[in-house]
Amino acid sequence: MANSSNSRPDFSGQAALAGIAGSSSDNPNGGDAGLVFREISHLGKLNLRGDKNLAAAIKAATGCPFPPKANQFQSAGERHVLWLGPDEYLILCEAGKEKQLEDTLASTTKSSQRYAITDVSDSLCALALSGPKTRAVLAKGCGLDLHPSYFPSGDCAQTLLALAGVTLMALADDEFIVICRTSFAPYIQRWLADAALEYGYQFVA
Amino acid sequence: MLIITCPFCGPRDEAEFACGGEAHIARPLAENKISDAHFADYLFMRDNPKGLFLERWRHSAGCRRWFNVARDTVSHEIIEIYPMGSLPKKASPKAAYKASWRRDTAAEKAAVRSPNKAGGSK
Repeated sequence: MANSSNSRPDFSGQAALAGIAGSSSDNPNGGDAGLVFREISHLGKLNLRGDKNLAAAIKAATGCPFPPKANQFQSAGERHVLWLGPDEYLILCEAGKEKQLEDTLASTTKSSQRYAITDVSDSLCALALSGPKTRAVLAKGCGLDLHPSYFPSGDCAQTLLALAGVTLMALADDEFIVICRTSFAPYIQRWLADAALEYGYQFVA
Repeated sequence: MLIITCPFCGPRDEAEFACGGEAHIARPLAENKISDAHFADYLFMRDNPKGLFLERWRHSAGCRRWFNVARDTVSHEIIEIYPMGSLPKKASPKAAYKASWRRDTAAEKAAVRSPNKAGGSK
């Protein structure tokens, strides 16, 4: 899924976790690592302010139904539209496709339609988490009930993870995307590695 | 730790919220001249009741939206959560709003456009 976003060939900017080497720790109980995580480097992120009148334009630009319900996201392949607030959404797209998406949105909206779209790709860092202990690790630093029956795949939430503001996305029962501020990314990376020690982890640089 | 129900995101941990202090403080309009002493009521004077208090809260780690909360400062019971720009609907918060000393201040009266200037002449 979103992991293939790493395939963008040429990028001049530096990824948020570019300076952090891959690391791992064996599962003390044997078996596979409980958590495998990596940065989805240069994932396109766009902040959108607007309302449901943009449904057709968002559908044209991303393929996602719009608007997503509160605390949920809609997906179409690698593109996701996350609900952030009553008139605020976060669009995730393939690395480098932000401008194209903005242009499609501009060309499919009427001049009377009001919205604001901001490229926040470098402001935020997305981490892809997978492994059987993904929810257990996140639950160590998060006040939300992350049980799959309460936070099923398709749900997203802006909340605190180890006191840092993050956006959580449940792609599947054991697959999450965690989006944090770029400046918090090394902290979140280290916190995840530490929290996952008892289950074994692998951080893929 | 309180569980506060954000009107947009649902029940969340208190740590995700920021309290914005007393609610329903209207800014005096510039066109209504009032004395510094009266302006101080708006600018500095804040209630600190033991019991029911009407407050503004912001879901700062979530949707970042403001809303109003009627909270008992003794029991921490949240009596009502209602949108910005509106008044509480339940009886006890309604009564607390009416009973506030602020309702009689010159500052609050000066927050309303005075009738003789309503036409905007000048």
